Amino acid sequence: MRVSPWFVIGLGCLYLFGFLVLGVSLYRLQTVKAGEFAEVETSQTTRRVSVPALRGRILDRSGRVLADCRPSRCIQCNLEELQQRGNWSNTVNAVDEAIDRVSVAIGIPRTISRDQIRRHLSQASAIPLMVWRDLDERTFARFAERADEFQGFDVSVRAERRYPYGTLAAHVLGYTGRVRPNADTGFPETGVRSPCFFEEMEICGRKGVEAFYNRYLAGFPGERFMRVDARGFRPRKSAGKGLADAPADDMAPVNGMDLELTLDIDIQAELERQLDGTTGAGVVLDPRDGAVLAMASAPTFNPNDCIPRLSSETYASLTNAPAKRGQNRAISEAYAPGSTFKPVTALAALETGWLPDDEYNCSGAYQLGEWKLRCWDYYGHGPINLRQAIEQSCNTFFCNLGSAIGTNAIIEAARAFGLGSKTGIDLYGETAGVVPDETWKLACYGEPWYPGDTCQMSIGQGMLLTTPLQMALVAAVIGNGGMRIKPYLHKMANGGNGQTSRPQNPSIPFAPENLAVVREGMRDVVMRGTGRKIAAGLPVTCGGKTGTAEIGRGEMRRKNTWVIAFAPYEHPTAAIAMIVERGESGGKTVAPRVNAVLSAIFGRKEPQTP
Amino acid sequence: MTAFFAKYKRIDWIMLVCMLMLAVTGVRFIQSAGGARASVALQELWTVHAWTAAAGLLAYLALASIDYRKLLKWCAIPFFGVSIAMLVAVLLFGSVRYGGRRWLWFFQPSEISKLAVIMLLAYVFGSRPENGEDGPQRRFGWRGALIGMAIFGVPAVLILAEPDLGTALVLVPTSFVMLLAARVWTTGLVSTLMAGLLAAGLLLGSVYVAERATVPEEKARIYRYVPLKDHQIKRLRVFLFPDTDIHGDGYNLRQARISIGSGSWWGKGFGEGLQKRLGYLPPAVSMNDFIFAVLAEESGFVGCVRLLLLFLGILIPGLRIAWTCEDDRGRLLAIGVCTLVFAHVYVNVAMSIGLMPITGLPLPFISAGRTFLIVVMAALGLVQSVAVHSNQTT
Repeated sequence: MRVSPWFVIGLGCLYLFGFLVLGVSLYRLQTVKAGEFAEVETSQTTRRVSVPALRGRILDRSGRVLADCRPSRCIQCNLEELQQRGNWSNTVNAVDEAIDRVSVAIGIPRTISRDQIRRHLSQASAIPLMVWRDLDERTFARFAERADEFQGFDVSVRAERRYPYGTLAAHVLGYTGRVRPNADTGFPETGVRSPCFFEEMEICGRKGVEAFYNRYLAGFPGERFMRVDARGFRPRKSAGKGLADAPADDMAPVNGMDLELTLDIDIQAELERQLDGTTGAGVVLDPRDGAVLAMASAPTFNPNDCIPRLSSETYASLTNAPAKRGQNRAISEAYAPGSTFKPVTALAALETGWLPDDEYNCSGAYQLGEWKLRCWDYYGHGPINLRQAIEQSCNTFFCNLGSAIGTNAIIEAARAFGLGSKTGIDLYGETAGVVPDETWKLACYGEPWYPGDTCQMSIGQGMLLTTPLQMALVAAVIGNGGMRIKPYLHKMANGGNGQTSRPQNPSIPFAPENLAVVREGMRDVVMRGTGRKIAAGLPVTCGGKTGTAEIGRGEMRRKNTWVIAFAPYEHPTAAIAMIVERGESGGKTVAPRVNAVLSAIFGRKEPQTP
Repeated sequence: MTAFFAKYKRIDWIMLVCMLMLAVTGVRFIQSAGGARASVALQELWTVHAWTAAAGLLAYLALASIDYRKLLKWCAIPFFGVSIAMLVAVLLFGSVRYGGRRWLWFFQPSEISKLAVIMLLAYVFGSRPENGEDGPQRRFGWRGALIGMAIFGVPAVLILAEPDLGTALVLVPTSFVMLLAARVWTTGLVSTLMAGLLAAGLLLGSVYVAERATVPEEKARIYRYVPLKDHQIKRLRVFLFPDTDIHGDGYNLRQARISIGSGSWWGKGFGEGLQKRLGYLPPAVSMNDFIFAVLAEESGFVGCVRLLLLFLGILIPGLRIAWTCEDDRGRLLAIGVCTLVFAHVYVNVAMSIGLMPITGLPLPFISAGRTFLIVVMAALGLVQSVAVHSNQTT
């Protein structure tokens, strides 16, 4: 025998050794390091996907719905059903052609480009591609009837924002948009969750309280885990059961909370009706605590036009001058307050020692060096005291008053009313306005302060700029006896408990007797002065002040007309400021409108029996 | 007739049962791997495998009943000649699949040549039975070694030309073991073996050094002296640095390792392998070269050990047959067939877990592949024939 039996035994040992090596390696791989590999397997086969939360509603003070979500019908394309072998562009082509087929068969124009398909396929092939969003019922029904014919296409319903009252309170409500993945990153606004692999497009507030209270309204998106195959698609249904969802802990979304506003839509509607057709703004406050009962800006827009996304045309119509429909003039446009500022000047004077009975002889014009300021009454008011000057809105009186007490006293009083700084209302985009002083003028114009500037400021013109909201606050503070308040829109804002009156310290540093003089002056305005139309037919007395600010020169010369008012006179529950750009005069243009708004609040006096 | 059936009483039953269980395992896991495929033909491939196994079983039983001595005497040389002719034919007329010209009509001649080489080596280097146990024995010196090298070298070169490096290489250990068993120029063969191992080590080492080189020029300079093709260097690189290019060249190996590792103790259950179902384990290789990964993922460490034990259930009885066989041709035949099976199992499993560079060798009985299945079963049939006939006078 040539072949030794020992060779056979040796060979057997070699086999056993070889298998032992394999066995030990397998043991290491499958038991010692099994957890490690299982982890890798899980991480490569599962993806975390966000689940959008339902956005909360916005309600007015009595619970009427100003904004909510409606179901929006969409057609989506499940890409895994259309995937092709080989090159990615084959799949892009297949999806592209399939969309064309559906488009022709159903008669819906395409809204998605080939480029978008490619991007979606390369970034998020595991989640369906939204091909048509927000279809009308008839189109949707046409598709649903024939849905079986279109492989890979599917219907889905998602939430879309809706504003049932259309333009009502548009500027306060604002509108929503889709979270822009880069610009917004989704996260400062929607929460602190770490980003998911696939983020569903979320809705976020873009303007108004939708933006300011976005976190409150948006809720907290949940997350779920899904499987993806090696090419990045969701496993096909044919791949078997139990593949679609990964067995991990899903987190249900927490829906957004409802936002109750202080607005009263009846007042709001009347305010908007009065501003309709003009360019202007108006604010109605509760002087007891600063709750905003109505806030309007004209011209206005319909926030439903901004849903589901803001088209460039709509965007242009919102921002283009001169209309600037999207701008909330009540807070983000500053105007010269004109004569409505005179109560502030008056208070400043009384505080510095001017006596209510001190008289000044109005000759119809005020001479300051070579410069001459005309009173609106060409023949002059003759000798009048402070109260009468408010009633008659005498320019020369206040010019003289301002010159007598000095700029600083006026500035101090204006700032005490909160002019020149933001009110802190719960909206973005508020402007502070301007209370000019010497430094400011030097910085902005490079000119020193002239006595004429003091004169201009004392009658609310020149460089002084205030927002309608600030003027409503002036009216409210004078009306409530000097209690400084912060305006708010959300019932629960500032930790409040939603009740109408909140304890506030009277922090305006004016003596009550001085305030009383100004209040009386403002009552005279509506009783027999320039603002008689404000109170006509109202069942309550009120105080008010008209204003007609002349701005611009020559061709550009125009008048912005104002009214501020509070009512009822003794214990006011409403303070209002309204401005109409390019009006005739405060008393003629704005007073009737304010009267209508006040009527909506307090009703009309019973017609007297003759 | 009774004599014919009496022969089957002498076959090795353990070997037969283990082989059948392996074939059934193969059918099941080809079904499992095919389940993840879109094409119906691939989903149904397991039936083909089952029918092939049935045909292989017929060949097995037929060959077991034929006296291997006569078979070697009359068939070894013609069979070898035919297999060489087919290897030449496949180079001329074969169809190209998976980057190699390997198929002649429906079978792979290279697989058949494995058996032809074993048979011819056993015929040539086994002492002639007619000389008797104690008869004069020819010694084989370096001339014998040259003949032996020619017997496996000619088919190996033809297979390399297809190209199919794995199949060509698997002939080497099989033939060397047979030549060593036949004590053909032992010193020369052992030196050659050492030199071969050294050369392999050198190649691997130079690839390692080249890949670690920081300067591209140096890398290029080393590769100028490395007689390997790009794709071969790539495989050695993946073997040496499995974690570097996990989305490119190293993808298959990494996914195979993830599949095997995540199978853990008991596996994920038959047909439940996530890696396979979601296509992470590349579907193109999950039915043949990497089917072990599917098996390991779905049946776990326990299933893997069971598989290895089943193979041992073939190999150990095979060696026992060699041990009890009383003539050299029978012994060499049994040793050759066992070594062929062992080499395939070892290389396939080792490459799946990253112990060896990736080579496209099938796992016997389990990988889809008709020719190799029939060849292995026929070869084991020959081993059974040795068991049946070795101690019988003709």
